[in-house]
Amino acid sequence: MGKRLLWSLILSSALTAPWAQAAEKTTIQVMHQGDPGFVAAYGKVAERFEAANPDVDVQFIYAPHDAYNEKFSAAVMAKQLPDVMELDAPFLANYVWSGYLQPIKPLIDKDLLDDMTESNIAQGTYPIDKDLYALGLTDSSVVLYGNKKYLEAIGARIPKSVDDAWTREEFETYLEKLSKLDGVKWPIDTFRGYGIKTEWITYAYGPILQSAGCDLIDRKAWKSEGTLDSDACVDALAMMQKWVKNGWVVPQSAGTNQFFAEGNPAALALGGHWVYAEAAATMKDNIVVLPLPKFGAKGASPNGTWIWAVTKTSTHPEISGKFISFLLKDKEFRTFAASQSGYPGLKSFAAESPLYATGGPMAIAFEQASKTAVARPPHPAYPTITSAFMQAVDQVFNGGDPKEALTSAAKKIDQDIEDNDGYPPFGDGQ
Amino acid sequence: MVMQQSTSSTSVRKAPARRHNKGRLMQEAAMLAPAMILLTLFLILPFLLSFWTAMTNQPLVPRPTPVRFVWFNNFIRIFQDDLFWTALWNVARFTFWIIPAQCGLAFATALLLHQKLPFRNLLRGMFFLPAITSMVVVCVIWGTLFQYPTGPFNQILGFLSGGAIQPIDWLGDPQWAMFSLVLLSAWQAYGFQMIVYLAGLQGIPDELYDAAKIDGANAFRRFWHVTMPGLRPTHVFVLVITTIQAFKLYTQVAILTQGGPKSSTETVVHYMVRAGFEEQKMGYASAVSVILFVIVLVIALIQRQLLRRFDV
Repeated sequence: MGKRLLWSLILSSALTAPWAQAAEKTTIQVMHQGDPGFVAAYGKVAERFEAANPDVDVQFIYAPHDAYNEKFSAAVMAKQLPDVMELDAPFLANYVWSGYLQPIKPLIDKDLLDDMTESNIAQGTYPIDKDLYALGLTDSSVVLYGNKKYLEAIGARIPKSVDDAWTREEFETYLEKLSKLDGVKWPIDTFRGYGIKTEWITYAYGPILQSAGCDLIDRKAWKSEGTLDSDACVDALAMMQKWVKNGWVVPQSAGTNQFFAEGNPAALALGGHWVYAEAAATMKDNIVVLPLPKFGAKGASPNGTWIWAVTKTSTHPEISGKFISFLLKDKEFRTFAASQSGYPGLKSFAAESPLYATGGPMAIAFEQASKTAVARPPHPAYPTITSAFMQAVDQVFNGGDPKEALTSAAKKIDQDIEDNDGYPPFGDGQ
Repeated sequence: MVMQQSTSSTSVRKAPARRHNKGRLMQEAAMLAPAMILLTLFLILPFLLSFWTAMTNQPLVPRPTPVRFVWFNNFIRIFQDDLFWTALWNVARFTFWIIPAQCGLAFATALLLHQKLPFRNLLRGMFFLPAITSMVVVCVIWGTLFQYPTGPFNQILGFLSGGAIQPIDWLGDPQWAMFSLVLLSAWQAYGFQMIVYLAGLQGIPDELYDAAKIDGANAFRRFWHVTMPGLRPTHVFVLVITTIQAFKLYTQVAILTQGGPKSSTETVVHYMVRAGFEEQKMGYASAVSVILFVIVLVIALIQRQLLRRFDV
């Protein structure tokens, strides 16, 4: 009896073993994140790719946005890296330095490479060997959205280009005026509702520090102490703390869409380009898109988004590259991305997106990319840099001392770099 | 009487054991083996490894730089990190609040459900229900209840006070965040302690109550002089279990507050996970886990002492 059970078990598992059918087809695994809309769009692209390449099977591995890096680490340790992976641009340096990615140039269609915008090339390039490791259809930016009705009520100046962006004084004066306006519950939504553990904090608030004349880390010496805890940074964070203290900022627990929520409780929104699609749908013509204010001598804006790379362990790099090329050229995928106000990372995609073309409603966002975009520090210590900065911002927004919070963040970053012997070859003259 | 019986039965059992000593030993070893192998593989070995890892700069994923032995550097850094002390203090604060809240609630419901109520078993099931609901689900639901400024809790408070109580930012205000987690946690987990109390109550012989009644003790005196002493070991057990559970606070923090606002809900386990998985410092995180282990061990040792004192 026992033997018969054993045999039937062996037989049934042999019959369903994957190698039985997979022998003729090449499988590539694609790890990605994304909201449900994009996940569905990827699936459809894969179907079309499989139809065009009947000998290939595309297998998706979905890893949710919030725990993407954790999931990726797990895949590394289990030696189960996918062939293709989506990754958040600032983490690229860490991945390349650790040896997980391979240069992508030989694998991608030449016309696509020529089509990339400068910012797109920058986000996919590893600063040490200047080689390209990843690319995407899109890039990203953050702008200041304004409620036209409210801005007219306080007589605010509406900048027409990045060059005449609001100054810090103008911006703070308007915030104060807006706070006294009927109907405005909070002058600005800085999307604190995204939480304190997402990339949003470093991505969106980092440029405010850079505009004020400092940075998260010295990008030559790769040392944070003396830079992140400098007076300029302390002053910039103290300024943001004041906004929060004055009740000018939508609190974290109030949700993320107060700018276009019913009744428009927030007058301004420091939001990503992706906010436009939703906001425009509910606010119609009542929305103005402004460049980020200048908090010091120069303007600064973020860039970088989720881009596609091929892992070093991939056994089918050519097919992987082919899939990425297919994805970025796919007409229907582009149409979907454009409908989500996808920010162009390819010149041809920019031409197809009236949103970002000259005169388009989001033209200012595209203008920012060439004039003020500052990438997040392309350093392998980035996971610690961003985590330490997030904690500092959380401290400060809730009443902590800015100098103290930034000093401890800077110390933490430098300790991590020290622990890894400076992440060679970073730090020696690079 | 009882003692005599037990000694006589052991002596009866011991006699044949001595005769087949070797065979018996082999048998015992064979029976123990599966458990010992699993325990060694999944408990003892990882534990020893974490001790070892705690003294290196081991990263989460393999890196080009060499892994070095750093001795007690990780521990020194942890002790120098204000955030760690904040985390420890928060856990202590949480424990201090959760014990009266959770155990009190459990004790009260257990006393209630020990009465001869109609539908008693159905009620017990209902009260136990949160304890078997996944904490993740509970957190998501309570996250909506806590919402600021328009969540149900704020609505109810506003309604009951006639608008006198301003909406509370339950999870976003450093003054309130930990308290909110205490409320949620106590509600989710008290069912377990309740069951333990119910078992304790059922273990008190009815004769004692009858005797107390004959002696003329009223309900309060019966409770104070029969129920309470009878539950002494239960009290200690519940107290210790709750303390140890409280020190491991993580899920609620990870889902609802992520350690914020202003680190007011940062806990030791959350601190450890952040160091290990976000900042990819496995050695450092292991050192935190060793410290947590020592803390829990100390609590467990105190538990043993207390249990002994109460003659359990």
